[in-house]
Amino acid sequence: MENILGTNLDRVVILAYFAIVMGFGAYFGKYSKTTSDYFFGGRRFAWWLITISIVATGIGSHSFVKYSTKAYQYGFSSTMTYMNDWFFMPLFLFGWLPIIYYLRLGSIPEYFEKRFSREARYIATFMILMYMIGYIAIQFLTLATALYKIYGIPLMLTVVLIAIATTVYMHFGGQTSVIFTDLIQGFILIFAGILIFSLGLNYLAENTSYSSGLKALWDNLSPQEKLPLANFNDPPDFNFVGIFWQDGVAGSIGFLFLNQGLIMRFMAARSVNEGRKAAAFNVLFILPVSAIVVSNAGWIGKAISNSIPGALPLDLAPNDVFVSVANLIAAPGIFGFVIAALCAALMSTSDTLVNASSSVIINDVYRPLTNNKSSDKEQLRLARLASVLVKVIAVCLVPFFNSFESIYEAHGWFHSTFTPPLVVGVFLGIFWKRFTSSAVIATFIVGAFLMILGQMYPSLISPFSHGIELRPDRGYSYIGALYNLFVCAGVGVLVTFFTKPNPESKLVGLTVFDVHKLKNIFKGSKPNEDKGQAVNVSWDLKEFDEDIISFSKQEMKLMKAKEGDLVYLQDSRWWLGGLKSIHSIFGKPHNQNGVVYINKSHLESGMFEHGLFLKGEKEM
Amino acid sequence: MTFSQTWLPFIYLYGVGGIAFLLGTLLIYKTKALRINYESHKKWFWVLFYGYFFYASVHALFIYLAIGSSY
Repeated sequence: MENILGTNLDRVVILAYFAIVMGFGAYFGKYSKTTSDYFFGGRRFAWWLITISIVATGIGSHSFVKYSTKAYQYGFSSTMTYMNDWFFMPLFLFGWLPIIYYLRLGSIPEYFEKRFSREARYIATFMILMYMIGYIAIQFLTLATALYKIYGIPLMLTVVLIAIATTVYMHFGGQTSVIFTDLIQGFILIFAGILIFSLGLNYLAENTSYSSGLKALWDNLSPQEKLPLANFNDPPDFNFVGIFWQDGVAGSIGFLFLNQGLIMRFMAARSVNEGRKAAAFNVLFILPVSAIVVSNAGWIGKAISNSIPGALPLDLAPNDVFVSVANLIAAPGIFGFVIAALCAALMSTSDTLVNASSSVIINDVYRPLTNNKSSDKEQLRLARLASVLVKVIAVCLVPFFNSFESIYEAHGWFHSTFTPPLVVGVFLGIFWKRFTSSAVIATFIVGAFLMILGQMYPSLISPFSHGIELRPDRGYSYIGALYNLFVCAGVGVLVTFFTKPNPESKLVGLTVFDVHKLKNIFKGSKPNEDKGQAVNVSWDLKEFDEDIISFSKQEMKLMKAKEGDLVYLQDSRWWLGGLKSIHSIFGKPHNQNGVVYINKSHLESGMFEHGLFLKGEKEM
Repeated sequence: MTFSQTWLPFIYLYGVGGIAFLLGTLLIYKTKALRINYESHKKWFWVLFYGYFFYASVHALFIYLAIGSSY
């Protein structure tokens, strides 16, 4: 082991960080009593809580290394992939999100069974699990590569230690632990990224003739490095058009429509509208900030190389830019904190994916195979075991991904290989009623076969290459996604025209054409769309056999609610973000103003406290 | 700098991406998934277009500044 980086203080900071996060996550285990709590956090959280926790999910440990590398090589165009997700937002916010939320889907494969067939569900399950577990393995590998340089522990042992550490809090807490640890880690990630940026600008100002670090950065990057989009079709390993199809199209649809971890986060929102707010805020504000957070070490590194010769090694490998720049500009302890942020990125992304994977294993493998006969308690126990199993498999896959030339390449291979058949399947499923069950299976199987052919014979991809150079022995990289999307969609469309579609009666609520009916399906009766006020009330217990709560007539009037409407009741302290809350149904009103009656089950689920007010809102 | 380094990627991104965006918006409008007559949906309609032009403006600004910059 050569060039061990950092000081003992840095190592202590990193270990302390791991301990704090594990304790924090384990604490929230008490909020997971059922599989619904474990996987979806009880569908009760506010949009801002979901948004911040998404930050930590979107920024993986590989992000810092991968984007700093590209930022060092190509400048501001490293931000491209964080700023091309808006094009599919209309379809996501008003098409897919209401479908998954109101149909109470437990997983993406479950949609495939409802929309197509059980066979389609099993194939989708296999592909999604492969994708997620591989992704977790890449996260482990990235962080282990960084920690290996700091602690000098063998790489695979580092991977195992990281897997054990993340298991501790995930194992007991499930989605609630994931959301709350991701909340704190989201803040830490953004803070650490901005800290590196400030320290880097300060370093530039102190070590060059410029009085402003920003001016030093701008003037020490070439005009090409200041462009926000890469060159159209050159070089082969980083060009605009290839990355547009691989990330902007396949990646964006995959992220918004198929990322089980992200979908579960939106399902944990207390309403579809809160989910929309979280998604829009994330793409409009958080992603641009994240782009700066993950890339700036590369820009700073490039400006330092151009303006202060010798400050960074002349033979610096682009993959080492993040750690080297952080080590150069940060004082002992601060460097440890920055690496702890890298740990935060790993833990928050992998915990989301592990929770999502165990959700898929229980929802899409165990429940269908056992006809859902076991108790919820038993399923919760199995979900926890499944999350351990997922980590074991991910650890075993690490050596495979370590054989790729770079983490960027391994990650790109994932997107272009696993997402196109699923993207085409889910997209045509939602937006084309005629799309058949046989067609989706053909998309998965024949599409995958044609994709493999494309990898073996790159000349098949040439008509889609937009002039990108074909690299001998390495083929096309990103633009392969366009070919993959084309062949999968082609197979799907072709087979559809030769097979019989499902009757319309079996598609109710499953396509964008029925989104306007979904509230009705969700509620079981006509939704009440009258806009009322929220009310603050004290609470008391009453014996209700059914899932109903009772407000006074006056408060019902203020909320414009009727008996049978859906209600959301939460602790009135806004900063809890819905942690202590329940969904229920309005029962028969009473005459005692300022009091809501709930039953014991509501109290246990909402964990309400005596003497504190609750805020009630009519949902629909 | 050449056209393929500066404005071509921008035109392709907001042209091809813009077609996907407009088709998506049209689809949710036609299927009544988005109902402009609902006050909250009307706000979302404007947010969707704001997002598109926000990103286009940021990218255009940086391309313009990069073209005019020296090294």
